[in-house]
Amino acid sequence: MTTVLPGATAAPVARPAAPAAARPVARLRRSRPDLLVCGGLLAAILLVQGWNITGFPALGDDEGTYLAQAWAVQRGEGLAHYTYWYDHPPLGWLQLALVTWIPAAFSPDVMSVAPMRCAMLLVSAVSAVLVYVLGRRLGLPRWAAGLGMALFGLSPLAVVLQREIFLDNIAVMWVLLAFCLAASPRRHLWHHFGAGLAAAVAVLSKETMLVVLPALLLTMWRHTHRDTRKFAVTGAVTACLLVGLAYPLFALLNHELFPGPGHVSLLDGIGYQMSRPGSGFVLDPGSGSHAVLRSWLYYDRVLPLCGLAAAVVLVAAARWSRTGRALAGPAAAAVILALVALRPSGYLPAMYVIQVLPFLALALAGVAASAAGALLRTGAGRGRRQRVAGRSTVAVLAVTAAVLVVPRWYDGDRSALTTDANASYRSAVAWLGDREHVADPSRTRVLADDAVWLDLVHAGYRPGTGAIWFYKADLDPAVAETLPRGWRDVDYVLASPTVRRDAATLPLVRAALANSEPVAAFGEGEDRIEVRRITGAEGR
Amino acid sequence: MLTSVIVCVVALALFWMAAFTLWWQMHAWRTPETLAATRFEQPSGEGALSFSLLVPARHEQAVLEHTVTRLLESTHGGFEVLVIVGHDDPETAEVAAKVAATAPDRVRVIVDTHEKKNKPKALNTALPHCRGEVVGVFDAEDQVHPELLSHVDHAFRATGADVVQGGVQLINFHSSWYSLRNCLEYFFWFRSRLHLHAEKGFIPLGGNTVFVRTGVLREAGGWDPECLAEDCDLGVRLSSKGKRVVVAYDSEMVTREETPGTLMSLLKQRTRWNQGFLQVYRKRDWRQLPTVAQRMLARYTLMTPFFQAFTGIIIPLNVAVALVLDVPAGVAVVTFLPAVTMLVTFMFEIVGLHDFGTQYGLRVRLVHYLKLVLGGPFYQLLLAGAAVRAVWREQRGRGDWELTRHVGAHLTREDVAS
Repeated sequence: MTTVLPGATAAPVARPAAPAAARPVARLRRSRPDLLVCGGLLAAILLVQGWNITGFPALGDDEGTYLAQAWAVQRGEGLAHYTYWYDHPPLGWLQLALVTWIPAAFSPDVMSVAPMRCAMLLVSAVSAVLVYVLGRRLGLPRWAAGLGMALFGLSPLAVVLQREIFLDNIAVMWVLLAFCLAASPRRHLWHHFGAGLAAAVAVLSKETMLVVLPALLLTMWRHTHRDTRKFAVTGAVTACLLVGLAYPLFALLNHELFPGPGHVSLLDGIGYQMSRPGSGFVLDPGSGSHAVLRSWLYYDRVLPLCGLAAAVVLVAAARWSRTGRALAGPAAAAVILALVALRPSGYLPAMYVIQVLPFLALALAGVAASAAGALLRTGAGRGRRQRVAGRSTVAVLAVTAAVLVVPRWYDGDRSALTTDANASYRSAVAWLGDREHVADPSRTRVLADDAVWLDLVHAGYRPGTGAIWFYKADLDPAVAETLPRGWRDVDYVLASPTVRRDAATLPLVRAALANSEPVAAFGEGEDRIEVRRITGAEGR
Repeated sequence: MLTSVIVCVVALALFWMAAFTLWWQMHAWRTPETLAATRFEQPSGEGALSFSLLVPARHEQAVLEHTVTRLLESTHGGFEVLVIVGHDDPETAEVAAKVAATAPDRVRVIVDTHEKKNKPKALNTALPHCRGEVVGVFDAEDQVHPELLSHVDHAFRATGADVVQGGVQLINFHSSWYSLRNCLEYFFWFRSRLHLHAEKGFIPLGGNTVFVRTGVLREAGGWDPECLAEDCDLGVRLSSKGKRVVVAYDSEMVTREETPGTLMSLLKQRTRWNQGFLQVYRKRDWRQLPTVAQRMLARYTLMTPFFQAFTGIIIPLNVAVALVLDVPAGVAVVTFLPAVTMLVTFMFEIVGLHDFGTQYGLRVRLVHYLKLVLGGPFYQLLLAGAAVRAVWREQRGRGDWELTRHVGAHLTREDVAS
């Protein structure tokens, strides 16, 4: 429409490069095929993750801790059921407290680990949908985005870990939201600002998300227009920083930013996390990290190994591959997290892999889409025969992959759907809650791990000083004060595998174990759970 | 407890005010498409409209000749320039006559004989003499781009608008700490915020580089001679009647201006505007706007100077209260919300300054960014002072003009010599 007639005006004015033309923006919310694919997969994921969620995997000590902290928040007792000591930023369990508020108000007893795993179902559902949305926003075809979502939600490894009440799951949800907003198809300033906010919430939910932020920035950079980029990126970084700084500000307002006598501090908390004893090099077969790796690969090899390979390929191919560039953000996130895990002397927690799963799934789906696209591409010079050959190759590859993966996943997911790993815990708690065995729980002291701490509280034991999280008996001065005679002031020990393992470094717990005898035992072998009564403490 | 509640309520109110202002300030940069739409379209074909350009000049003998000469360089075919001088201002009249003699078919001098003089009266004096289909207003110190009229012509024809507001930009950001902030205010206002107003159908127009169809202007009865912000008033009256206003900003095309030479004259200028906004608010023309949202926007925009004064003082006070008094940590966090929003605004201002430099090919140095940040609170104080002063003057019924003097700091040496 712009034509300059000869002699009409002077030389046209120099202006910036062609302004961004209005682009069609696909609306997933209004696309029926997308809704069908995403909705169908979501139903499958909810079914597989939700079925038997209370029975498998075994209740974890960490799960109990986070939930107990959420419980303390709900009861207005502060940020934790013991003194909050800045071990993690509290936003993760603050959200947990918010989500579980209404069910807990109706029935206080459901506020224990097994039933409250249902809250994680909500988190998994949101995360899975966000993986799909992100895949689509990064340009994956519908089937590939669906593949990514399925990998993320149905891998046996994901099913096991996403069922558990881990802060990492919550952080993953927020970081996925941040990626989705960073890849906003409208390239909207406030979407990018929102990405910064979501990233900050992710980091404050689980601090390890910090290392993913460069990959997020990369995604945002690619999805902003040259003319508005500096505003969008600055907005996002500012939003992230300001919200992130709320945490140190909170510590400062509580006079707990700097270490000092008689109180906990944020800097002490960070110092503890940074100096946690390493679990060795992950590729060294004798190391603790390697055992963690093996436990992941036990559940699934496809997503961790093939996904990582795909991420590496995508990062390496970013220069000349369109898919590589489009998925550079998630692929870079996976690679960064893998490199962090490869530190020779770092501490590798079992839930670490949770943060990588969505990025691995997207990278794998991206490579699959790229490969299928290359094989199916019908160039002008390609004949019918070549097209058929291309389609056959894709079909053969797809069937091979399915044959290799589906049976293993079927086995893995079936055991997740049928195994009851928590019968012993339930029986042990029932034993301790039975008035025929313990006449007055409110005057009885039990050392137990956090997985059942809330159950004991619901059974009538006094929170903190009656039901005692076993670490605190040794490590929290406020609890030690209530046990002036050490192990002799304890009545029972609920000896779970965690308690027996960590007693080695906890003198009081070790003594309590040594000076007690089992009165009831549930399960067998390493996994058995014993209720042990303290003996030799006469004169109480 | 009561302290906590009060602090929270005040903090949340401040937060929403700051957030809305920020949201509107960043309007143009929302999406690349929005930004592209704020520019002038490239004109096509011959100019079809004729323009009457009004240049009211009062004690502007130093810059008037240059301004009119530059207007005459316009590439557009059909325009006339009407220089309006006062009967009691022989120096400016002399310069005007001299310029008119160089292009007698283009330039006419209109003499304003009002006893008490102000800009709207001068403009109204010239309005009956306008022969063009479109009336444009420029100030005597404006540097107008030769291509501007062609672009405005195209904008009128392409959009069917009744009013086209072109960009105005203060350029001399290096002159002083407050000129830096003043320039940036203009940048955000004309580059971004005004476009939002045009989109929403409520717009306080700028004082110059504003073009109105002559018929529409005469129908509206010209400018309000008693209003201190006659430009804002005109915009409010026209948009309240549903007239279509288009805003276009192109760094190439903006009219370049200078900031007031002293802090005191900036204060006076701002006082006049604020008082003018207050008058426009009290004239209640904006009540005819059809939707509630538009009326809310009008109410808020016209009261902005006073909100600004209020927030500038209350935000630090509120944070101080939270720190000094022993309020719960949650409440303290809430009190930081407005301050946080202010920080975000600060960050966007820094980026805005960078963009300003890029757009105008000006070198913005680190010291300028520092001045921007450090000058922020003091500028806020100045704005607050102007707002208080405006209310005080309006209460005392003092409605006379405090004119701003111009020294030509935005003109480079070659400009003045040529």
